[in-house]
Amino acid sequence: MRSPGLLAAALCWTCIASADPLQHEFLLLPSAEAVGTFDRQAPVTQVTDEVLKLDSIFSLQKGSFKVFGEYLVSDHEGDLERFQLGWQVSSDTVIWIGRYHQPTSIWNHEHHHGQYLQTSITRPAIDEWEDLGGILPQHFTGVLVESSKQVFGDWRLHVAAAGGIAPEITSEGLEPFDLVHPSHDRQRLGYQARASLHPGEFTETGFGMIVANDKLPQVGPQTPEMVGLDYVDLRLVGVFGTYAAQSWKVLATAYYANAQLFYTGSEISDHFEVGYVQAEWRLRQELGVFARLEGSAHASDSTYLDLFDEFHRSRQLGGLRWDFARRQALTLELGRTHTLQGAFSDVRLQWSAAVL
Amino acid sequence: MERGGPVAVRRLVCIALLLLGFCGAAVPASRVLVLVVRADSPVVDLDSVTLRKLFLGVPVLVNGKLLHPIRNRSAEHLDEIFLQEIVGMSQSVYDRQILGGVNRQGWRPPTEANSSAQVLAALYEDQQAVAFVWQSEIAHDPRVRVVRILWSE
Repeated sequence: MRSPGLLAAALCWTCIASADPLQHEFLLLPSAEAVGTFDRQAPVTQVTDEVLKLDSIFSLQKGSFKVFGEYLVSDHEGDLERFQLGWQVSSDTVIWIGRYHQPTSIWNHEHHHGQYLQTSITRPAIDEWEDLGGILPQHFTGVLVESSKQVFGDWRLHVAAAGGIAPEITSEGLEPFDLVHPSHDRQRLGYQARASLHPGEFTETGFGMIVANDKLPQVGPQTPEMVGLDYVDLRLVGVFGTYAAQSWKVLATAYYANAQLFYTGSEISDHFEVGYVQAEWRLRQELGVFARLEGSAHASDSTYLDLFDEFHRSRQLGGLRWDFARRQALTLELGRTHTLQGAFSDVRLQWSAAVL
Repeated sequence: MERGGPVAVRRLVCIALLLLGFCGAAVPASRVLVLVVRADSPVVDLDSVTLRKLFLGVPVLVNGKLLHPIRNRSAEHLDEIFLQEIVGMSQSVYDRQILGGVNRQGWRPPTEANSSAQVLAALYEDQQAVAFVWQSEIAHDPRVRVVRILWSE
């Protein structure tokens, strides 16, 4: 841990010594959500009735160096979600050190925690955050490099690669490394990479692939499913694509996951596939509709997914978003979800906003 | 008299054209929008794609140093030209791009200035600043340099 510390100190010193002015930015993304469930046949539904959230994004920049972070406060928690020291190497490349959202979650890397910037209220189950029953690790502490390059004429290649301390598997689910209260448990690493091609510099349209290999240690008290578990070696490959027209957009993602569970004296290997398609259609400037289908295969046979009671193996939802004032929106969403143990339906209403 | 009439008409037309010419010369001078930097700025030229990136908040480096865009909002008409000619998108799409950039990577949106005096003050202060102003507002100002014409009427 000495070298990253020295590197961070060197970065800070270069930043302070630079003659450029110190610039800052602050973005607030508040939201309030009410949820009702009905037709419940599942013991665990992962639904909280009311949620108030304030997502704060801040950046301090001096020349090519910046400090960037995201702090989320809700009526249930308060977490430093991202905290990154960045070096803008060139116009197209930035190197980050710190706690980041891993780049193989296409949804999270685009929207992060702010509700206002995503059209639907919920995110796909495969991209759910660790503390909300997510099955894939999302927060890592280490190094993230993001870059882009012009290729094949006007096309643009975007790449991101990262490596860092992976979340642990606990009886409460996945738990990422906490920068504010660092744990002294044994740590294991995870690596992720993503590449995508886009037909232009400013278009959302594009397609790409992801690959990840994360080692997740089991620590602390164990549930019956975890007895004897030492760690999980999770390998992920996936493809994704987005087509964005003037008034409508379709995005789709599919992942193949291979999980090797290492127990004391034995080893289990399993795999499962997950994916989703979301379509969004803007009826008028301020009014849009959306629908999403999520599905999975081999989920009920997976020993790895048995560790997560709340995983949604399939879901169908649809909704309406009304941008009723500058940077404010009301969203209504109706969904039907099948977990590994049952099913439930839910209706959600959300107010969200952005204050820059 | 028969020949004098057309001559007089021609003279009148010439005078009218000359006057129009003078007026015409005066109008474009106040209706030309130019991209400007401080006189000692390292910016020599900015193509339209780089300019678009800059005003969308994407980091743009020249000689290893970040440029600082200043959005001139001293007139409503300037907002229309900015959206149509510089970033090429509607206000709502531009807004989402800016918020998305801050959310993803902490990109800084352009600094907004509500008067030409503010724009010029920011330019005088910052060697890395890039702004757009009416050409007539910087005529003979040795402290700023025109990079190129962005729009003219």
